[in-house]
Amino acid sequence: MSATYKPENSRVATRITHHKEAINYSLTRLWQSQASTWITLAAIAIALSLPASLHLFLKNLKSLTDDKREVPTVSLFIKQGITEQQARDRGELLAELTEIDKVVLIPKSEALEQFRKVTGIAETLETLDENPLPHVLVVTPRMNLISGDTINMQKLANKLENYPEVDLVQMDIEWVQRLRAILRIVERTIMVISILLALTVLLVIGNTIRLDIQNRKEEIEVSKLIGATSAYIRRPFIYSGIWYGLFGGILSLVIVHIALFSLISPVNELASLYASDFSISGLGIKMTLYILLGSSLLGMIGAWLAVGRHLKTTTLT
Amino acid sequence: MIEFKAVSKQYPTGQLALYNVNLSMQQGEMAFLTGHSGAGKSTLLKLIALLDSPTEGTVTIAGQDTHYIKQRKIPDFRRNIGVIFQDHHLLKDRTVFENIALPLKIEGMRPHDIKRRVRAALDKVDLLKKEKEYPQMLSAGEKQRVGIARAVVNKPSIILADEPTGNLDPDLALDIMHTFKQFNEYGSTVLIASHDHSLIKEMKKRIIVLRKVKQ
Repeated sequence: MSATYKPENSRVATRITHHKEAINYSLTRLWQSQASTWITLAAIAIALSLPASLHLFLKNLKSLTDDKREVPTVSLFIKQGITEQQARDRGELLAELTEIDKVVLIPKSEALEQFRKVTGIAETLETLDENPLPHVLVVTPRMNLISGDTINMQKLANKLENYPEVDLVQMDIEWVQRLRAILRIVERTIMVISILLALTVLLVIGNTIRLDIQNRKEEIEVSKLIGATSAYIRRPFIYSGIWYGLFGGILSLVIVHIALFSLISPVNELASLYASDFSISGLGIKMTLYILLGSSLLGMIGAWLAVGRHLKTTTLT
Repeated sequence: MIEFKAVSKQYPTGQLALYNVNLSMQQGEMAFLTGHSGAGKSTLLKLIALLDSPTEGTVTIAGQDTHYIKQRKIPDFRRNIGVIFQDHHLLKDRTVFENIALPLKIEGMRPHDIKRRVRAALDKVDLLKKEKEYPQMLSAGEKQRVGIARAVVNKPSIILADEPTGNLDPDLALDIMHTFKQFNEYGSTVLIASHDHSLIKEMKKRIIVLRKVKQ
């Protein structure tokens, strides 16, 4: 007996042949049992589409808050009687302060124009003798000042309020902060839901593979008896798990995008009512790849666990 | 080639299947393993095929003490042993060709090499015309010959057969035995467990008798 095994092919070529064979075999088996394959894929797709949709919802909500307000601003309403030039001079002086990044002046004429556009009450405004709106200085503080420390923000507001030209100081940060706090909670919730649903996918695939193993118990035993390694036996099941994950992921993306397309029109309509140019965005290439990669990985892990368990508990007779 | 030194095997249930067995087989030898039911014939074959391990003593195959063969090396080792079972262990959803090709696929052989080797094995067992048929379409004798073809297709050094003619009529059984003899002439060491004394006598080969252990 030649104690050492001498393959006709090189080890790399053997591995490639085994992988090709496992890929063909696993795909053929999925194709052969189409009904059960589709049921499994549907279960995976539904489980995956929920966190994907929630992520998409969150992403769009975030883009809404990020819209031109990434950095919270402070609006300084200038007293009536102060000229545009005086307001501009004050703005330039303020821009020199260390805690301030930039200052933008919105003259009252421009503010009126914007107000007219947004509210659509131009005719009413025409009846007024003079423009009732003040000049506004929109102050953008430096980021390091506002990162997590709202007390400094308040100090800045107090300081700005003391300038003689300033009538009223309004911080535009509060609603953004509140919304961001809510979004953080939503984000965590989505994360928990995603983990739970990922576990569901893992269990669905693991159970499907377990059933497949039961159906092929004899084949596995015979293969082991004639010298199949655990890797050889495991390989087609691992590929099956990957296909379930990958195709389930693709199907979930289809579901999410169908839902997305059905929302585009009503959301655009709603946005136009608020004079916003907001429009729904899709998952993007990066997130799409993450979903497909993640679902394939879940399939692989589910299959690995199921086969590993079987190989551990099986004894040859 | 195969050496048993003071080998005993006791199952976890307490059943003593083998007790103090000493045995030696040379390379290229053909022998029959006989004994009453429960004498430990199948256990002895399992120990050679590394499907089980002895509780005492040493089993040496091709100079290697099987006790020291690492778990991950066992599949490589098994590929050099062809095992034939009484109930064939053929896969019902695979054709004759696919069943015989299985050991070669496990070796990672190229498809055209597989085709050549499977055809050659089928030719040896005279089943070339049945390559596309499924096991359930074959007679008992044909199934057994497919089992033999699968066991020998990768040219193993050792062929083990556990009651290979148990379900066959005498003529077919003799035919199968001659097939084994033919593979032995090609250089394989052949050990056949059988209780068919008349058939064993007719083959005029070494006979190893196992006696049931008195518990």
